[in-house]
Amino acid sequence: MKKILLHLCTAGAVLLASLVTATAADSKLVVAMLPKSKGNAYFISCKVGADKAAKELGIQLLFDGPTDSNAAKQNEIVENWITLGVDVIAVAAENKEGISTALRKAQKAGIKVLTFDADAMTDARSFFVNQATPEGIGQGLMDEAARLTNSEGEFAMIVASLTASNQREWQQHIEARLKEKYPKMKLVAVRPCDDLKDKAQSEATALLSANPKLKLIMAICSPGVPGAAEAVKQAGLTGKVKVMGLGLPNENKRYVHAGVTDSIILWNTGDLGYLAIYAGVALAKDELKKGAKTFKAGSLGTFSIAGDNILLGKPFIFNKANIDQFDF
Amino acid sequence: MSVSPGTKNPRDWKALLTRHEMLLLYVLIAEWLFFYFAGTTTNRRGVVVGFGTLDRQFDILRHSCEIGLLALALTPVIITAGIDLSIGSLLGLCAILFGKLWHDGGLTIPVAAGLTLALGALAGGINASLITALRLPPLIVTLGTYSLFRGLAEAITHGAITYTDFPASFLFVGQERWLGLPTQAWVFLGVALGVGLLVHRTTFGRAFRTIGFSPEGARYAGLPVARRLALVYVLAGLIAAIAAIIYTARLGQAKADAGTGYELFAITAVVLGGTSIFGGTGSVHGTLLGVAAIAVLKNGLACLPVVMRMNAAEEMSGLLTGALLLLALTASVLPKILSRFRTRHHAPAL
Repeated sequence: MKKILLHLCTAGAVLLASLVTATAADSKLVVAMLPKSKGNAYFISCKVGADKAAKELGIQLLFDGPTDSNAAKQNEIVENWITLGVDVIAVAAENKEGISTALRKAQKAGIKVLTFDADAMTDARSFFVNQATPEGIGQGLMDEAARLTNSEGEFAMIVASLTASNQREWQQHIEARLKEKYPKMKLVAVRPCDDLKDKAQSEATALLSANPKLKLIMAICSPGVPGAAEAVKQAGLTGKVKVMGLGLPNENKRYVHAGVTDSIILWNTGDLGYLAIYAGVALAKDELKKGAKTFKAGSLGTFSIAGDNILLGKPFIFNKANIDQFDF
Repeated sequence: MSVSPGTKNPRDWKALLTRHEMLLLYVLIAEWLFFYFAGTTTNRRGVVVGFGTLDRQFDILRHSCEIGLLALALTPVIITAGIDLSIGSLLGLCAILFGKLWHDGGLTIPVAAGLTLALGALAGGINASLITALRLPPLIVTLGTYSLFRGLAEAITHGAITYTDFPASFLFVGQERWLGLPTQAWVFLGVALGVGLLVHRTTFGRAFRTIGFSPEGARYAGLPVARRLALVYVLAGLIAAIAAIIYTARLGQAKADAGTGYELFAITAVVLGGTSIFGGTGSVHGTLLGVAAIAVLKNGLACLPVVMRMNAAEEMSGLLTGALLLLALTASVLPKILSRFRTRHHAPAL
């Protein structure tokens, strides 16, 4: 019995050993990137950009995360990386406070830490690669809406809820931009959809019948855009009432190709991953320091820094011409 | 089964060396050595990193405490031929209750922790009363409370509130070291000692095994079956609450998703440790070895350069934990099958 088990052990060890290629110390800089969950198409598209940056910079990129969004696993992965002695850790925090304990530990161990997509506590990282400021999103949405309607006429908004803080903030920036630049446009209604596509559709239907002069519906929560598009399509108003808003390419592709939805606004996730890696490497090489005002990231050019936020800059507009290049 | 470790004659020694727990110990040592040699490197700053560092060993210990506690809670339960699927959810619920009592209730940490332990035991009591008074199967009862406890945790926090900003003195329990070991390891060892004594050195433990072998037999033998069963489920609730507090201290946050899926890891560790899922046999030291074997495997894999390059530490650990469990189960029934085979061929027919 003992013999059998020892044989099994040896076999197992040999099997495992055959999986291990040369363990010779890699002299490459190691950047570890932690998404909220690694199966999420959004983060996979971030990784595409990160891989590109890693190749250009000649570094080793580790990309690992929970298979589901799990704050405890994120901590364990960071702790794992600390004892592996990686040079840089870039995190999209699932839970702000929870991850920060592990990140502070990493900093204490001499590892450079930055966050992207979702920030941790500010003392637990050097920089946050900020994919979009509320101001940038608000202005981007309003400018695109104006472009689609030749800066005149009535439009309505669908929001997730009237109280959610990010929604409120975006809405304020949209209204500020409207007041400042587009006097001929008029916001006639703002309706909540509770982050539900069905609700968005019924709200949009109600908006269409109550406002016959409506030229555009802008939805600023991701289920809102396809919901509004479905309502416009069913009302037979395709092309007459434009639909646009903040959302994910995949859930809107159908409507974009059918000509119901004109544009989807978000950020370029590939660029986000690319910028995060460049910033991480620059941190490790001491080329990016506190107080810097700008940062140059390879082929993407120069980005501005506000405080400790590296700004990805203007939102990205997905439309018929480019939406098929994105899969998330 | 569960031969007492004081056996003296040579045949017993052989039996001892080939017992399931010993085999598991060999596996654990093999695993450890393998990762020590394959998972330790020097990084570009010339620092030794990876599996062979003391920090790493402490991390392994720290990460095993919560699942280890749940496995300890489950060992007596499974020995009685029961199961408790609700302890992972209960960990989440207790973490939330603890956070709420401290943050919203304005209680001090020790008082909140004490109350949480009481509530954990109470929740275990719900399982216990449904199982003993109504004689419902533990699998069904705890499947129900599995959803119930998690649902409560989510309802209390609306799935959104996270309790944080715990004082440093509390975080010390989960993140610092005390007397050389991660602080929570002392709690873990204390509970292990307690459960070990209960299962192996008291009449309670004998009653658990008897109930596991045959509940009817135990009843006819005059054992207070309902009371003994109630004890194991209440104890499981209490230990889940301890795990919840440690979990909260380690992460510095209490959130409704705490401990999701932990019950399955714990069951894996218990079964790997040689406790029969049909009840009647099992040991606490086996469970500890099971916990260690899984923790070392999981943590060691993440140090292997090839796994790192594939970015597949979590998938590999799931895959190999499963393989390890199946291998161990196969190895443990192999002697029986072999001896049956031998009997058939060499011994005269009965």
